[in-house]
Amino acid sequence: MTRKIFLIAMLTSIFILFSASIFKSEKYLNDFSKSYYLSNGFYETGSKNIVTGIYLDYRLFDSIFEASILLIVVSGIIFISTRDDKIL
Amino acid sequence: MKNSSILVCISRILFPFILLFGFYIIINGHVSPGGGFQGGAILATAILITYFIDPERILNLKFLINLEKSSFIIILLIVSLSFLTRGVFFTNFVPIDGEIDIKKIFLIALNFFIGMKVALGLVSVFSTFIKEGGYRI
Repeated sequence: MTRKIFLIAMLTSIFILFSASIFKSEKYLNDFSKSYYLSNGFYETGSKNIVTGIYLDYRLFDSIFEASILLIVVSGIIFISTRDDKIL
Repeated sequence: MKNSSILVCISRILFPFILLFGFYIIINGHVSPGGGFQGGAILATAILITYFIDPERILNLKFLINLEKSSFIIILLIVSLSFLTRGVFFTNFVPIDGEIDIKKIFLIALNFFIGMKVALGLVSVFSTFIKEGGYRI
């Protein structure tokens, strides 16, 4: 019973926080990064497609770790799915 | 695995076109929607179609994994090449006021290697399932 009460309190607090962050966010809105990418993206990265310009130049650090996560996942799946007598 | 001759015939016709479309998506990633990850997924489906054509011929898994690892190392080398020219990691290796046509080399090369890596990863996952599960059903 106490677990349910805690769960309901947690969910309502999360809901209140999320709704407050959505409905009171007008003063934090700005389009600085959007206008910066649109005006300077082609000359700085050489990419007409601005998505490629962002994920291969401005945010390349994230793309590298995205690729490494894929490598780790593939090796993990191969390790799990091979039969035991082959590994040991 | 059930196999009909119509499916095999259609797969044989479709296989080169899917391969071509995947390479198109990867190489034109910097001018049109698409890029390494999406084109790599298309390339993976093109290679997986070969299991319809001949289910008994399984690709060499060790070779695939080695190729994937080496392509990841090549990506890291290309990315850290910018330390020599610009002084910072993880950007284009051409200086920021360089020619736009030369900057595209970096984008195309990185898109190509990311696409190759994604395609090899998906293909090796599926090949492991076929190899370990047994294809005679």
